[in-house]
Amino acid sequence: MSGEIAIGIDLGTSNSCVAVVLDGVPQVIPNEWGDRTHASVVSFMEDGSVLVGNNAKRNIITNAENTVYSVKRLIGRFFFSDEVKKAQAVMPYEIAEGPNNGVRILIGENDYATSEISALVLKEMKAIVENYLGAPVTKAVVTVPAFFNDNQRQATKDAGTIAGLEVLRIINEPTAAALSYGFGGVENQKAVIYDLGGGTFDVSILEIGDGGVFEVLSTAGDTYLGGDDFDDRIMNHLADLFQNEHGIDLRQNKYCLQMLKEAAEQAKIDISNTGRASIHVEGICQTQEGDVLDLVTSLDADDFNRMVMDLVQRTFKVCDEALQVCRLTASDIDAVILVGGPTRLPIIRNSVKHYFQNEPLTTVDPDEVVALGAAIQADALCGADSEHFLLDVTPLSLRIATVGGYTERIIEKNSPIPVERTRSFTTSRDGQDRVRIKVLQGESKREDECELLGQFEFSGFRIGYRGEVKIEVTFEIDTNGIVNVTATDEETGQQTSTQITLSSGLTEEDIEASRERAARTKLAGHAA
Amino acid sequence: MSVADPQFEIEIQLLAQAVDEMDYYQVLKVNQDATPGQIKAAYYRESRVLHPDRFYQSSSEELKANVLKVYKRITEAYMVLKDYEKRNKYTQDINGPERASRLRFTEESEQEQKKEKDEQTGKTPQAKQCYRQAILDMQQKRWEKAERSLKTALMYEPDNELFKQKLAECEKNIAEKPAPSFKIG
Repeated sequence: MSGEIAIGIDLGTSNSCVAVVLDGVPQVIPNEWGDRTHASVVSFMEDGSVLVGNNAKRNIITNAENTVYSVKRLIGRFFFSDEVKKAQAVMPYEIAEGPNNGVRILIGENDYATSEISALVLKEMKAIVENYLGAPVTKAVVTVPAFFNDNQRQATKDAGTIAGLEVLRIINEPTAAALSYGFGGVENQKAVIYDLGGGTFDVSILEIGDGGVFEVLSTAGDTYLGGDDFDDRIMNHLADLFQNEHGIDLRQNKYCLQMLKEAAEQAKIDISNTGRASIHVEGICQTQEGDVLDLVTSLDADDFNRMVMDLVQRTFKVCDEALQVCRLTASDIDAVILVGGPTRLPIIRNSVKHYFQNEPLTTVDPDEVVALGAAIQADALCGADSEHFLLDVTPLSLRIATVGGYTERIIEKNSPIPVERTRSFTTSRDGQDRVRIKVLQGESKREDECELLGQFEFSGFRIGYRGEVKIEVTFEIDTNGIVNVTATDEETGQQTSTQITLSSGLTEEDIEASRERAARTKLAGHAA
Repeated sequence: MSVADPQFEIEIQLLAQAVDEMDYYQVLKVNQDATPGQIKAAYYRESRVLHPDRFYQSSSEELKANVLKVYKRITEAYMVLKDYEKRNKYTQDINGPERASRLRFTEESEQEQKKEKDEQTGKTPQAKQCYRQAILDMQQKRWEKAERSLKTALMYEPDNELFKQKLAECEKNIAEKPAPSFKIG
């Protein structure tokens, strides 16, 4: 090792995991209590410190307003997005609108950007490794779902910076998983990575070529489908049962909802392990007369499978799409890798096996496989001789808004990255001194069906009659999957100044201020 | 390792300067009759040498910028040459009189390609002719005229999905008033 430690972090919706390559061997680093995965939960304590991880998870019920979870669902989103509205309805913590249509989380007197919350999770991961190795950690590779758009990637990268980490690279979770399986020595294998996380579902199809080339042939996903949706099904089932019996809707109270959610999650795990679950939640609510009611019922695998069958089928629609893009069929696949806790469910394993006609690989823990891959990539970027190359693709088409609510495609989805495309624009009015371009990601021709990345305004070019001035705009997607837009005056070759007029992201000053705040914030529960 | 090699740095600098004059086959160092397998192999080979990850630790910003410029052209070349239809169109373009301006596959090339494909559709000569006329009219936004031509084309080939699709497009435009032409500002 070159002296510097570079870690790999799987920053998950529900759980996070950190790994590092030590003496050439990638390994997951446990915390002081031996936990290898850590709940992505941040609980703000009265003394100003924050508690992160599995211990913070308990506070979701006992300290609900000051405990933030599933922030990954909100990161890089605009306040007006549907996902934020949905979160406002179910999350016990307060979600407010910030500058530039951003999302802020209110904790007591303070408000935090979503990147700042994720930064605290990353800071905990950093502290775990520092504690374990007794040496400072400054560099990291952080993973994101393959289907994350530019805003979400940028916000994740910002979170790393705020946590005091140099983010070497943002890599896609399925790609990281493939790395950790290594496939050393095998050539020209086609592998599919089926990644069902807490909040998102991704599929990537990779070709592993000779000389350690990992080429992503296609990627597809659904950022609104995850293990949480399976929990929701159980939750609604339990709530309906309870309502029929007692006439009380547990979903109306955020406190009851949390107890219900925990019971549902436990039931899912029990069914996964033993095929059935007994549910017994004492004192879940009180009637108006003051009687305390318990929730008591049981659930077997058949009930559960019926409840979630449509969710499972939705994942295979995404698989169909990914296969179609690279003109393959399920039988062309040589290896299937499962990623994410929910893939432990027998219904998922069996369905995947049936769909791909292939026994899925499970030798690496599906909760750890992504962090291990990230650590391998971190080591490769820091180390001397890299033995593999990731040839990844962009998951979404890059578009610009035209007129009348329509868009035009600039870069096609599944293009290998880094990539750039250049387009010429002319002024449409005499004496025009600025050109505004709205950049979006998505597959629809309609502007409102795509995700807005930002609005760029170019100025500082020559002023002339309309149609006379040509501005060349370059759209680049870098190896992190992050979009950069630059413009030059075609005639003079002079770079025009660019101003981002609409963006959910943080400015450099914001990030710096947040970094200082995060550095001051003490992590509870650590000796140091 | 070649990364720190000054000779290599000079080579990359020259390559970065020359890349705008090269076609995609030259970028990937393959012949124009290369098989898809050879194109993929070339992409892997060039990636092993020039992937920006290999230069992550380099202290020379200039080297990194040159590598990135060349590598972005490699991915662009691969993206076009791995697609059968795009490759055909591109190969025609670079072997034609306008080679110098066609070295990069652009959105316009894509649209031309689509146009050519559209023109080749239709099984009967009568339908083909009506369809071609309709497409011309649609480009001029003469929606009503295009609609009549498409209806005639459908009389010859009642099952042609493309005709139906274009007809629907015309009808939509007639109903909605023509969409304004593309401009920014």
